Amino acid sequence: MSEDTIGRREGEPWIGRGLPRLEDPRLLLGRGRFVDDISLDGMLEAAFVRSPLGHAAIRSIDATRALELPGVHAVFTGDDLRAACSGPLLFEATLRGRQIQTTRQSVLPTDRVRFVGEPVAIVVADSRYVAEDAVELVEVDWDPLPAVVDENDALRPGAPVLHDNIPDNNFGHIEFSHGDVDGVFAGADRVFSKRFRLGRSMAAPLECRGTIARYDAATGDAEMWATGQGPYERRHSVAAVTGIPETKLRVVQPDVGGAFGLKGLIYPEDPALLVTAKILGRPIKWIEDRFEHLAASSHSKEMTVELEAAVRADGKLLGLRARYVGNAGAYAQLPPTAMVDALLAATMLPSVYDVDAVAYSVDCTLTNKCPTGAARGVGWVPGQLARELLIDEIARELELDPAELRLANCIGPEPRTTATGLHYDGGSYAESIRTVLEQIGYEDLRREQGRLRAEGRYLGVGISPYVEPAVFSTAYRQATGFGIATFDTVSVTVESDGSVIVRTPFHSQGQGHHTSFAQLAADEMGVPVESVRIEQGDTAGGVFGLGTFASRSAVIAAGSIAAASREVREKLLAVAGHQLEIAPEDLVLRDGLVTVRGSPSHSMPIGAVAHAVYFGGPAARPRELVEPTLSATRHHDPPETYSNGTMVAVVEVDIETGIVEIVRMAVVEDCGTVINPLIVDGQAAGAVAQGIGMALLEELHYDEHGQLLSGSLMDYLYPSATDVPAIEIDHLETPSPVTAHGVKGMSNGGTIAAPSAIAAAVADALTPLGVKIDRAPITPDYLISLLGEGSAVEHLHPEGHVS
Amino acid sequence: MKPAPFAYAAPVERGQVLSLLGEHAGEARLLAGGQSLLPLMNLRLARPGLVIDLGRVGGLDQIRTDDGWLVLGAMTRQLALERSGLVARGAPLLAAALPLIGHVATRSRGTLGGSIAHADPAAELPAVLLALDGEVVAESVRGERVVPARSLFLSALTTSLAEDELVASIRVPLAPTRASAFVEVSRRHGDFALIGAAVSVQLSDAQLCEDAAIALCGVAEAPVRLEELERVLLGRRLTDDDVLAEASHLATTALDSAGVVDASAQYRRRVAGPIVVRALKQAASQSTSVERAE
Amino acid sequence: MTPEVAGVIGQPVEPIEVTLSVNGRDVTANVEPRLLLVDFLRHNLGLTGTHVGCEHGVCGACTIRFDGELARSCLMLAAQAAGHELETVESLSDDGTLHPIQQAFNEAHALQCGFCTPAMLLTTQQLLRDVPDANDREIREYLSGNVCRCTGYMGIVAAVKLARERQRSARPPDRS
Repeated sequence: MSEDTIGRREGEPWIGRGLPRLEDPRLLLGRGRFVDDISLDGMLEAAFVRSPLGHAAIRSIDATRALELPGVHAVFTGDDLRAACSGPLLFEATLRGRQIQTTRQSVLPTDRVRFVGEPVAIVVADSRYVAEDAVELVEVDWDPLPAVVDENDALRPGAPVLHDNIPDNNFGHIEFSHGDVDGVFAGADRVFSKRFRLGRSMAAPLECRGTIARYDAATGDAEMWATGQGPYERRHSVAAVTGIPETKLRVVQPDVGGAFGLKGLIYPEDPALLVTAKILGRPIKWIEDRFEHLAASSHSKEMTVELEAAVRADGKLLGLRARYVGNAGAYAQLPPTAMVDALLAATMLPSVYDVDAVAYSVDCTLTNKCPTGAARGVGWVPGQLARELLIDEIARELELDPAELRLANCIGPEPRTTATGLHYDGGSYAESIRTVLEQIGYEDLRREQGRLRAEGRYLGVGISPYVEPAVFSTAYRQATGFGIATFDTVSVTVESDGSVIVRTPFHSQGQGHHTSFAQLAADEMGVPVESVRIEQGDTAGGVFGLGTFASRSAVIAAGSIAAASREVREKLLAVAGHQLEIAPEDLVLRDGLVTVRGSPSHSMPIGAVAHAVYFGGPAARPRELVEPTLSATRHHDPPETYSNGTMVAVVEVDIETGIVEIVRMAVVEDCGTVINPLIVDGQAAGAVAQGIGMALLEELHYDEHGQLLSGSLMDYLYPSATDVPAIEIDHLETPSPVTAHGVKGMSNGGTIAAPSAIAAAVADALTPLGVKIDRAPITPDYLISLLGEGSAVEHLHPEGHVS
Repeated sequence: MKPAPFAYAAPVERGQVLSLLGEHAGEARLLAGGQSLLPLMNLRLARPGLVIDLGRVGGLDQIRTDDGWLVLGAMTRQLALERSGLVARGAPLLAAALPLIGHVATRSRGTLGGSIAHADPAAELPAVLLALDGEVVAESVRGERVVPARSLFLSALTTSLAEDELVASIRVPLAPTRASAFVEVSRRHGDFALIGAAVSVQLSDAQLCEDAAIALCGVAEAPVRLEELERVLLGRRLTDDDVLAEASHLATTALDSAGVVDASAQYRRRVAGPIVVRALKQAASQSTSVERAE
Repeated sequence: MTPEVAGVIGQPVEPIEVTLSVNGRDVTANVEPRLLLVDFLRHNLGLTGTHVGCEHGVCGACTIRFDGELARSCLMLAAQAAGHELETVESLSDDGTLHPIQQAFNEAHALQCGFCTPAMLLTTQQLLRDVPDANDREIREYLSGNVCRCTGYMGIVAAVKLARERQRSARPPDRS
């Protein structure tokens, strides 16, 4: 793996090379700087008093005993914080541009709580230990209210209402139709239907959230060091709710231990900490513990999908109709709100299939659970599960091979607009299916399956072709109707010694930006990759952008680095031309040198060119170069681009214990032009692992009163090294015709496709037993309950079951 | 999540432990390996007023034989037991179960006595002790007491030990000629068992069962011996289809009397039979082996 | 009450003095009995390479070496460590050059966010000592006590094997 990567020959591009990551040594040496590694003079530590109930009114909060504990500096409620700042300390969350509801979430409510773990007071002490002692001494008089937890129950008349302005608990109802859907269904040879439910999961990065807040009363300057996925969105929302101007608030995001969407959301703890720091005049650190993380950060993907397919007798898909009911939890979470699950599932309904008649409806139900926000794969995951399982059921019913059925309905490789309004920029949809089937030895597998069945063993194969929206840009948001536009900038600057600084608004929580963006810039600027410095994660000296999520960074970085570099390059060449007395068109930038084309010995180092600009005075530059600044900041907002691929899972089901073993996992993925194949493979494998978690292991359980039952990692099960097989990854490369270098984003593919590949494989394995899979995660007791009765059993309401 | 405050003692002699227990019984918890106690304390589910650290007490971690018994100090680390040739030869069922318990980093600290005294219904070691008809030697200021496994485990996290008693050592009869197997179902490698079967049988030269001990963990508040099944197996060949079918049936019906009806109990009831069958087959193959039905 | 008890039940507890060896150096400090070892290492000693992921012994991010064996430092009290020898990830290199196992992790892309990495490094080092001939399944079983949320474990298993291969070729030839 290492041979090819470092010994790059002169002049060869950096894009496409599996360069070992430049940011690794620090992390390997244990010298990462995560939020909890940071300590400021005079710093105190905070803990939050949190609701133990799923739904309750607050009668009173009494901190008397807590304040008497030695080492405790303060206990503040929402009233105390509001008195100390000019902002509303209230999140009003909706999805702009859609006719949907708004939820209002107080930073520290004084009237009512709506989920277990919702914070109602902040305790500040000398140490976290003492702060937790004091939390136990804060007396809150709770008045329990009836709770509702299931997304379908909460829509029924008479269900407890969470927000007075949303009497039906439905945060967002959206309907869409394209083509003659009713006509197609009425006239179809067959109509197949399926109801599927995906349980609640979460991103659960290994590092929990954390924030240090500091406020300087003398200057009015505020600072926050915080886990996150891009500092500007955070600065904007905290400034808005606290009334602190953005120019007075600096947000720094240091090393972050994984995020997967969860750390890019907006939470009440940050403004609470900042205002508390303001009141006390000392820095305040809060490091979330794992219970808080599981209970009160952000959940994801819980959804009921009801899907119908109109099918011709030969298996041609004629129409798709679906209803998606997402479980939003207690509040809409900014920026995406819970619509990021239900609406994005709906807009991806046709996926790789050539279907013109498509209709969907979306509901997004508020319940007494932790708010749901964006986590890797979002609603594409339950959507994919429901659709691919249904397609297999159709194949079984029509006695067609599931691979053949998919290929027969697959779109062609050229760009197209889907029935749901997405503009695919082309890909290897059918080719990826064929390639992965060849890779896995599909025919041999089917034969082996038959042999094993004769021995009473149950092997199954599941195929899941996927499309992955690969940049959240304005165009994608417009196509999906998903809210506001995006705005991102990147700057490229050549320093006085010729080294290059690229400032981006993105943030790497493992994705390797320091390497991949350096590769992009090194190619654009003609410098060695080691001379490029990537700066991110600090609003001081940074450049604005929405941050890293939904695979967007590579595409936007590629385009904006290209645009900014082009401008800076022209200036460098103009100055070099002036210095060398050669026309700039005859000069080439490569490997840190400006060289005369065709005369490699006639050159000057880029550092010398830069030095001339900074220190050489006007005579060192051509007179025509009116603006000599060796820096450019450029905005980039790419059109839609979509990665694709196909995943195959081979499983063996132990029908006596309900345990599923993943025998093989293969993926062929196509993310266009690859910047760094090591990083792409790492992302693919990591995504598959999370997909395995959603398929078999991960679920957050609540009882009917909104009591969280999965409050530790003994209940919420991470996939371990023995749960994830060696993943067989192969690549196709269909460069995008619409992005810089043809780069497409990637990282969600494994989460989209792996759960459905596994679920489909389980269903395939159990075909002789007449079992249908209607939910995930597929737990041992779910399978045993299906097998016992010998036919499908409704398992759509798992609340109250301890798995 | 940080533990609540507590007073702390790190005695070096057993007598000091006993007198501390005698004085503070009810408020004191013994800290052995910490792999069960510290999570509870960090989650503030356990809040002892006094933590008595056994880490410096000498003489509690010996592995030796004594007159037909294998005697294991309560503070013997699980990893040390795993590496012990005496254990491998003298108590193969214990050796079979150990690699399934948690992970390397928990076995380096976790102790035999700590796991036994903690009495988690899903833990492997209590079921192993029960299947081996082992004994706990308990000490207090009132003297020494031997508690057989059968009367030790009362219910979840509750043993018949008094609040002021220290588990000093665990004894199991040396049984090098018995065939054993430990089979469990768990969600992931190293997790607590959803259900586990510990089997220890004495087979004649003709492969007929002369004595059987079968214990299950994870199926009830405490590990369970399948006594009726043990009787039914006598004189019969473990690998015969009718024997295995009967074993499966008896394992299932033994759980019916437990009376719990939630979904997870139904799962255990359905799976107990196949797990016992697998364990019997493995034992009968005359090799001590480890299988996780995952 | 015997003299060894730090504190009176129900009263604020005074710190106790502990002396222990950390990465080869002796350290003496006063610690509250309930101070977790991982917090002592990170905040009292400034050795922030060891990380906290769960504080209930499941995720393995806090893994250190204790008297030569892997241990979860979130499940230990600093007080328990008195008189013992601890090694953290910082023991792999004291001058900024990468230890061969760290080098292998870099080349095999065995880390993304880096949060599980210190624990994975120590666990790998221990694996290569304890089970030098581990096959793929055994490697994964040994690593199964350390959660990684980013990599899907592919790069980590590859790094283990790369490090082992290099260790073997660097070793002096067998005397037999």
